[in-house]
Amino acid sequence: MSEKTKREPLKALNVFPAILLLLIGSHVLAQHKEYSFNNPGNECFMDYICYSPDGVYQSIKRPFVFIVGKTGETAIEAFQSDSVYNEAQFQHYMFVFLPGNKAGQQRQPRCIESLASLLTYNYYYGRDNLFLKLRDTSMSVMQLQESKLNTIFAAIKYPENSPADNETTTDQNVSTLFRETQIDYENYHRQIKEDGTGTFYVEDNKMTDNESVFEKAVKTYFGAPTRHAFTLSGMVKDRSTGEALPFATLLVKGTTNGTSANADGYFTLLKVPSDTSVLLVQYVGYQTTEVFLTPETPVKQLFVELAPLAVSLKTVTVVGKREDMVMNGRLEVATMKLSPKKLETLPNTGERDVMRSFQLMPGVSASNESSSGLYVRGGTPDQNLVLYDGFSIYHVDHLYGFFSAFNSNALKDVQLYKGGFESKFGGRLSSVTEITGKDGNSKRFNVGGDISLLSTNVFAEVPVGKKFTSIVAFRKSYKGFLYNKIFDKFSATSSYEVPREGGGMGRFSTETEVTSYFYDLNAKMTYRPTDRDVVSLSIFNGADKLDNGSAFSAAGFGMGNARFGSNSTDLTNYGNTGGSLKWGRKWNEKIYGNTLASYSNYFSQRDRTQERTTYNDDDEAVTTKTGVIENNDLKDFSLKSDYEWDAFRHSKIQFGAFATYFDIDYNYAQNDTSDVLNRSNKAALAGLYLQSKTKLFSDRLILTPGLRISYFGNTAKAYPEPRLALKYFISENISLNAATGQYYQFANRVTREDILSGSRDFWLLSDEKSVPVSEATHYIAGLSYEDNNYLFSAEAYYKNINSLTEYSLRFNPSPMGVSYDENFFSGNGYAKGLELMAQKLSGKFNGWIAYTLGEAKNHFDIYGDGFFAANQDVKHEFKAVALYKYRRWDFSATWVFATGRPYTAPSGAYTITLLDGTTQDFFTVTDKNSQRLPDYHRADISATFKLLGGLKGDKKRREYGYIGASIFNLYDRKNVWYKQFLIEDGSIIETDVNYLGFMPNLTLSLKLR
Amino acid sequence: MTTITLHPSNTKPISRLIIIAAGALLLFASCNKEENSNFTDTPIVEAYLLPGTDLTVKVSRQVPFSTSVTYSADEIDQIGMELNYGDNTVIMTPSGDGIYTAPGISMAEGDTFSLKFDFNEKTVKAFTYIPSKPDSMTQSVTKIYLSKIDSTSGFPGMGEMPEPVEISWSNPDNSYYLIIIENTSTDPEPIRELDDDEDRPAFVFRKAPTSNNRESLRPMEFEYFGLHRIILFHVLPDYAALYEQNSSSSLNLTNPSTSISNGYGIFTGLSSDTLYLEVKKN
Repeated sequence: MSEKTKREPLKALNVFPAILLLLIGSHVLAQHKEYSFNNPGNECFMDYICYSPDGVYQSIKRPFVFIVGKTGETAIEAFQSDSVYNEAQFQHYMFVFLPGNKAGQQRQPRCIESLASLLTYNYYYGRDNLFLKLRDTSMSVMQLQESKLNTIFAAIKYPENSPADNETTTDQNVSTLFRETQIDYENYHRQIKEDGTGTFYVEDNKMTDNESVFEKAVKTYFGAPTRHAFTLSGMVKDRSTGEALPFATLLVKGTTNGTSANADGYFTLLKVPSDTSVLLVQYVGYQTTEVFLTPETPVKQLFVELAPLAVSLKTVTVVGKREDMVMNGRLEVATMKLSPKKLETLPNTGERDVMRSFQLMPGVSASNESSSGLYVRGGTPDQNLVLYDGFSIYHVDHLYGFFSAFNSNALKDVQLYKGGFESKFGGRLSSVTEITGKDGNSKRFNVGGDISLLSTNVFAEVPVGKKFTSIVAFRKSYKGFLYNKIFDKFSATSSYEVPREGGGMGRFSTETEVTSYFYDLNAKMTYRPTDRDVVSLSIFNGADKLDNGSAFSAAGFGMGNARFGSNSTDLTNYGNTGGSLKWGRKWNEKIYGNTLASYSNYFSQRDRTQERTTYNDDDEAVTTKTGVIENNDLKDFSLKSDYEWDAFRHSKIQFGAFATYFDIDYNYAQNDTSDVLNRSNKAALAGLYLQSKTKLFSDRLILTPGLRISYFGNTAKAYPEPRLALKYFISENISLNAATGQYYQFANRVTREDILSGSRDFWLLSDEKSVPVSEATHYIAGLSYEDNNYLFSAEAYYKNINSLTEYSLRFNPSPMGVSYDENFFSGNGYAKGLELMAQKLSGKFNGWIAYTLGEAKNHFDIYGDGFFAANQDVKHEFKAVALYKYRRWDFSATWVFATGRPYTAPSGAYTITLLDGTTQDFFTVTDKNSQRLPDYHRADISATFKLLGGLKGDKKRREYGYIGASIFNLYDRKNVWYKQFLIEDGSIIETDVNYLGFMPNLTLSLKLR
Repeated sequence: MTTITLHPSNTKPISRLIIIAAGALLLFASCNKEENSNFTDTPIVEAYLLPGTDLTVKVSRQVPFSTSVTYSADEIDQIGMELNYGDNTVIMTPSGDGIYTAPGISMAEGDTFSLKFDFNEKTVKAFTYIPSKPDSMTQSVTKIYLSKIDSTSGFPGMGEMPEPVEISWSNPDNSYYLIIIENTSTDPEPIRELDDDEDRPAFVFRKAPTSNNRESLRPMEFEYFGLHRIILFHVLPDYAALYEQNSSSSLNLTNPSTSISNGYGIFTGLSSDTLYLEVKKN
């Protein structure tokens, strides 16, 4: 709200008497203004007068003097009888005259407080220049003390000879008492803005009760509502950076009428009961804010600003204040939300990682260190759709799956839909991870960086003007001890033994310098041409490069006329490049739409070859390449449009259309002469969806039926996917959830099992012949209880999956020739389970425990008649996360326990002696996945110390960074990754290859704001 | 599903209950049952059919993974092994330890051979043929001179290492060839002075199977002085397959590829040509 004139609260009074009053009094009191506060019948109803000696009524940046008339006096009478405003020093003040109490009535002092708040709204520092002169003697001392008027007004002059009078200062002279404190209003205002950015730590015992880090909303209007059942729309933003907060929840306090903001922060709330209702706005990691609506509140473009949680340095627990790091979707089924900012307090292994943090939730498997894709409810990572600012990411691993490809410094919001997800999403069988990148601070420039034992990370947020924001974040690993430890563990282990060629003089082989690193680059530019439009361009690029090659030439041995050279290449290079261009527009208060064009490319090159240059008889150089070359390239071009229409009070309709063009090339060659596999697949997928979020039974039941229809070019068929989700609020805190739906997947990821390190998967498009379109049906039901302090939830799921494809590449030798057979086996499977979670949401000590009981089984005819345990089947999984905050310290501890995954053990083995006398072991198998690895468990701990600006003892200090120490796998548990088999002395020996052991890490993070 | 009334007053007992329940589940989960994989007593055949040698087939059983398996009743040394070649069929003679011979059979280029016997109630069959003898095998030099390397001489320096020995042959159809280099003496002198506790390197080394028509032998690959036999084998694809990746880890265990039906191993024909190379001391 900008500078305003005195507001005139709307009156329900008859207009006639008012005009009469004005006419009568106008020639006597020519310059003052008369108002009414509230309506008759309201206990704070009064007619009051504003008077400005200098005739200027626009400005509020000046001292105010409130004068309460004697008992029985009206405001006009008080105005006429008091002449303090005639003094020269008060010429630029504003005087407000209130009537005194009517005889026999006891008007509460808080009515004075309310009126003062109303009139000085947005007058931040006016407290130093707000004065009160009480002439009414009927207010009791107790009332005055309880009302804390002395905290609102800088000085109060009590009526003479009243009991309170004896407690005021000896200086009774109004001129001195009401002296203005000179404030440079402009600079003060700017300073407040400056102080407003960032996270603050406060010494609570030094702040008075009325002070707070951020101005708390206060109810200022006590009048009758003027509007009922109206539509309120606007946007939820971060108060300090201006970032839109996607999917923030807004609720009308005391009712079940609520909505979520959309991905761009825009919201529409239908049928708000009245314009004096209170809104409760929540977003994970931010203070829950109350917005007191008044008739003056804009209904079309209301900007609700949330402040990040300020931290108290006191040791007393504040009950009821939520300290969320992870939130269960309040209005959705099977949804979890994570605050990337809060990740810094969780233990980490060199990098804060959103995917790893999701592994601490029930339903997401935590015992898989070699893949950072999510295994959600018995599903595989390729069944999880990962969307980054609207485009799909096909490969989320860095460093052999130990980290994900997402840099937390560039992320704003991450949501995981564990199952039964809505019609808006499709193309995957199990789950959806929706990641929204930051837009960048729209108010001020910000820069920061982290350095840990593994990588360095730097980001910058640059706003340009009022409409343009941008953010760039870059992360790169460096070869320190932590990188080497992870790298050595996951790359050196090789599952196969290729008989080694040659022998000879191993000591003279050249030293190879292995270079390897990973990097990420995220950039986003957002332009808001009007208040209704937002255009954003988001770019994502990241890759892993591993170079183990060596070059050997005879020249290196001092032979001038060398006639041979050899180049050994061992290069693995994989990663993602993607981008999206989005235009979102709020067409009118009921319709919001966005259109997005995106490109996503997943590339993977693996080159393990030896290049030999020799000279043939004609003295020409002949280069031959032997070894293995594998090239994988997936391109996804997409265009989609999503609309939300708040058509009716009880129904929000969402619809949209999408089209994707896939271009997948996979090439696997041995030596430069023979192509083993050469697949080139192209396909187009297009479709539309329609769903309705319907509220029934006075908002207690939220029903979301939907239908999604896709047409897939390769099979020339249409695939309808009906979906239904249900949320029923048994009471304000207890809700019942259920969801069901049909899901299809048109591109599946195949894992080539014969390669352990480097990227070993490629995506296959379904077609009519060998790879059918896979489908799944979900059934979910659950119950949850949530209040300000605790959350308890239980959810059961069952997924039926058909047309699964397993791929095997068999090198089929026969005397007649060599062929590579691609075999596609079709099968089906199911996954079912029960998840239980108990979470403590508030207080210094909080956290959660989660338990999942699950089963995932598959059936493939080639493996036999029955069901076998799927590779990702884990029966029991238990997680506990404990977080403790003490002043500037954050401590956290996590413990994960999971029963062992299945594995295939050999049934027998044999040895073949080769022609040169060396031997080769071979293993035979009968049952797939019939054995179980030992249980997996590990504990991680971390401690974070916040770095604060200012001096010790300052009331308010801004956080500018932190130092964190964490330990992964605290008690060095040897968790088995896989087993290696060997024939020794006529029997098969199995040895365990373990995951990472004890790993400490240190992180230093600094930022400007 | 029972309805739990979750009231702030009884939430504490609930969380305790959950912890106890979780603990009980952990106890149950930690009891791992030993499961035995099914074991099928599929026999292993190993045979290299090289002209100029006796035709020998070795049959053995797999080594089982579980400690208690039941083998089939068949005796390894009492298999009625049939060998077919051309129009003839002969029963091979067992000589103990699973080795069967067919003495007196000459193997020539182009001859086809097939094997058949019953084992574990299944008929094991394999067939192969003798590939053509390597044609036009040539070597670039017949002698190379290398310096002895001991603690005093250090790394071979300027101009001391000879060029690689080029072996070439005719390979119009890009079939597979394999070179094996073998020292002919029983106690050759090592090129590189060995430490007292160091194991002696092998007398034999080989190159990877190739479908090319030439191969280079780098001087560094030789470990000993003396006369070396350079054997060029013309091999069949199923032998080359033995050098392919094969899995030995629980992550990707699959049955090995083989051209024998109802059996595993190798039954393959080879032919060879030999040249000699002398490695002399400088």
